[in-house]
Amino acid sequence: MKKFTIMADATCDLGEELQNEYGITVVPTHIMLPDGRDIPSFHKWEEISRDEFYNKLRANPDGYATSPPNVAEFVAAFKKIADQGEDILLLTISTGISGTYDFATQAKKEMAEEYPDTKIRIIDSLRFGPALGLLVMYAAQKRDEGLGLDDVADYIENNKNRIHQAGWLDDLSFVAKKGRMTHAKAFFGSLAGIKPIGEFDYNGLTTVIGKAKGAKAAYELLMKYIEKTIRDPQEQVIVVAHTNRPEQAEIYSRMIEEKFHPKAIMIREVFPMCGISIGPGLMAAYYAGNPISQGLVEERAILEACQQK
Amino acid sequence: MNTRKINGVRFEEMVRNGLHSLQAVEKELNSMNVFPVADGDTGTNMVTTLGNAISGARTNENLSEYLHSLSSGMLLGARGNSGVILSQIFKGISLELTRKAVANHVELRNAFIRGYRVAYESVIHPVEGTILTVAREGIDRTSKEMRNIRDIESLLACYLSHMEKTLQETPEMLPVLKEMGVVDSGGKGYIAIVQGMLDCLNGTVHETRETETALPAGNAPTGVTDLSNFNETSVFEEGYCMEFILQLLRHPEYDQQFSQADFIRSLNEKGESLVVVQSESRVKVHVHTKKPAEIISYAQKYGEFLTFKLENMQLQHNEYLQKQEEQPQPDNSTAETFVTPEADEPDVPAIRMPFAVIAAVNGKGNKKIFNDLGCKYVIECGNTMNASASDFLDMIRKANAEQTVILPGNGNLILAARQAADLSKAKVTVIPTKTIPESYFALAMDIPDSEDIGRRIEQMHEGMKGIDTLLVTVSARSFRHQELTINAHEWVAIYRGEPVAASAEPIEVISQALEQTEGIEDKESCIFFRGARGNELLQDAIETEIRKKYPLMDVTFMEGGQGVYDWMIGIF
Repeated sequence: MKKFTIMADATCDLGEELQNEYGITVVPTHIMLPDGRDIPSFHKWEEISRDEFYNKLRANPDGYATSPPNVAEFVAAFKKIADQGEDILLLTISTGISGTYDFATQAKKEMAEEYPDTKIRIIDSLRFGPALGLLVMYAAQKRDEGLGLDDVADYIENNKNRIHQAGWLDDLSFVAKKGRMTHAKAFFGSLAGIKPIGEFDYNGLTTVIGKAKGAKAAYELLMKYIEKTIRDPQEQVIVVAHTNRPEQAEIYSRMIEEKFHPKAIMIREVFPMCGISIGPGLMAAYYAGNPISQGLVEERAILEACQQK
Repeated sequence: MNTRKINGVRFEEMVRNGLHSLQAVEKELNSMNVFPVADGDTGTNMVTTLGNAISGARTNENLSEYLHSLSSGMLLGARGNSGVILSQIFKGISLELTRKAVANHVELRNAFIRGYRVAYESVIHPVEGTILTVAREGIDRTSKEMRNIRDIESLLACYLSHMEKTLQETPEMLPVLKEMGVVDSGGKGYIAIVQGMLDCLNGTVHETRETETALPAGNAPTGVTDLSNFNETSVFEEGYCMEFILQLLRHPEYDQQFSQADFIRSLNEKGESLVVVQSESRVKVHVHTKKPAEIISYAQKYGEFLTFKLENMQLQHNEYLQKQEEQPQPDNSTAETFVTPEADEPDVPAIRMPFAVIAAVNGKGNKKIFNDLGCKYVIECGNTMNASASDFLDMIRKANAEQTVILPGNGNLILAARQAADLSKAKVTVIPTKTIPESYFALAMDIPDSEDIGRRIEQMHEGMKGIDTLLVTVSARSFRHQELTINAHEWVAIYRGEPVAASAEPIEVISQALEQTEGIEDKESCIFFRGARGNELLQDAIETEIRKKYPLMDVTFMEGGQGVYDWMIGIF
């Protein structure tokens, strides 16, 4: 069976170490800095520390921007793998958020003439950030179990809508401004300790399905919500990702560990290419559960039920 | 006055006045424009269309001659969907009054009917709930009352009255209008024009504005488009807005068998919102499409472009959405008691919103904070927070929502709010917040994304629970309360209605008051609303002091601007 490479655009937010561990090839995106420089996304906190970056971002929210790899960049990435004689399975950020999928598809068309024998399959993950990273990790796992490209791809297609986000966002204005939120009737006002609970809708856009007063109440509510929406927690790797909320992420992971005993639990700091659109203040768990309903009807009902004392 | 007949000169005066009347609402129309795309320029388009036509038309005593001149100019000078449809209405008017040197009210009525018929024919997929419906129902209903109409003034007055009614119904016909809380802007613009025409006959002349002449060369609507709203991450759904005048050419290189019907059929396959107008050998097209190249190459089979405009509607759409975020609109948010009322009284919104929140506050900063949190209807009270039941009733009427919530923000106001709720015919719930911080947290807990109003109200009740408020101010006189002695000009802190701490130093009094707060060790968050007299420079010191004693506590500072209390502190 022909070997294949699992590829993802940089919004999968996987650090260098994880990329190597799982054998993932990441196509970098662009980051525009306030001083006008355009740099490729980075996956290691080397030149700048996490704290520094998020503080700068908070001080200058409009100064940073991201943009996807263009068609030529995808073609170059594809060629590199094709030249090694491998097929490609690419997972992209949700089409509901970015045009990346279209660029990749165009790149695939351009590859067809020169590389007729290279199979390229592209999947719209319907997610972004650590959730996309989770899907990529699942893909790698299936590949390591011996499945071929199409089987792995089919598996991801059938399960991508089962990835949930359960956590909070201190400051909704970032996701609202960058178009990663449904009904950006987001308050631009500060919420002073009130935690909006964010879940993914079908297209991977963050939707506020409830609010909790303070971190304590939020943790409690989230644990109940995860319980009602997760499937087979003990078989899973759960990711807890945050943008500059390390202490809370620790507390949250410990709670999840104690209650659900997952196979593994990973705490990750979100890198800038996703962080720019999320802003500081994200603290959420990503896991596989029941498929997400259209309009989040079921999820809202579940959260409401969890809130009744 | 009873005008029996009008000639070309009179008609020209009437439409000039119509133009000025339209110019007066141009900005308002731009802000209402949501269909077919929220590109915000209905007002400007209609003004330009009518303005170009009037300035290009030749004055002529003969009505038919004048109308012909006006209408041809309008057809070719039309801008945007609304402008093109307006030009069609006038084309119909002109056609009906061909060979008539003057017209009476019956003939004018017939002209208005022909006007809407021609307009409907020109739009490939006419949509109800727009200027078309307003123009049609307006004159059809007027027709039924012709017995009582004996002159032009009554015809126009009746026409206007029926059109107004239809305009108010447009949100029921076109869901997007209802969503945005507006009536159709094109319809409103047309009404403004006809109103101006009637006003002219009644002797009311609208003031002119300079820009009556042709559009400046850039074709840009008022204001520069911000290109940053469409970038590499954007999703292109809205397509392009394309407008051109195609000059059919006799040169043998071009296809000589141009058929308008076939042309329309072909274009219909390539785009939407199609309007095609042919004037002899010139064809004016307005269309929305994602594939402009196909239409361009098709059109070039028959001739070449005299004028051409292509605009990215996604950019306009994104820009409109961006503006929506920045300015909660329509701005009906003020009603002030004990302060001089603002010159422009806000209007009741055109349609009913499903849910609205009314809050009473003191302080301009607090009003902004509540506006930012999504509360449009803020009663700005004086220092004694003395709003009356009728103040609340006023706001309830202004909000015009199916379900209204009141946050009184003061123990003294709860009764007044409840009274207003009882007296009002609307569905009103009072969430009994005793302080502004309580109102704040009630509002912060709202889930605006939810369509379940009951749940939203529950959340707001939840928000109010468990909030403790400390009020910190300087005492005007000395007094004793239980074991506490407060000296004049000393700082005092009030908790649950009683003074609990006094000190010569503000930080000291805050610190002591916190110690007295029940369960303070387990509290997570406190928010300081700084009053007009509060000293901003103290904030760092306050924060340091709090972090020292209560390391888990989150501290936020906001500029409230309230009059009496230097600091209002909300704690949960």
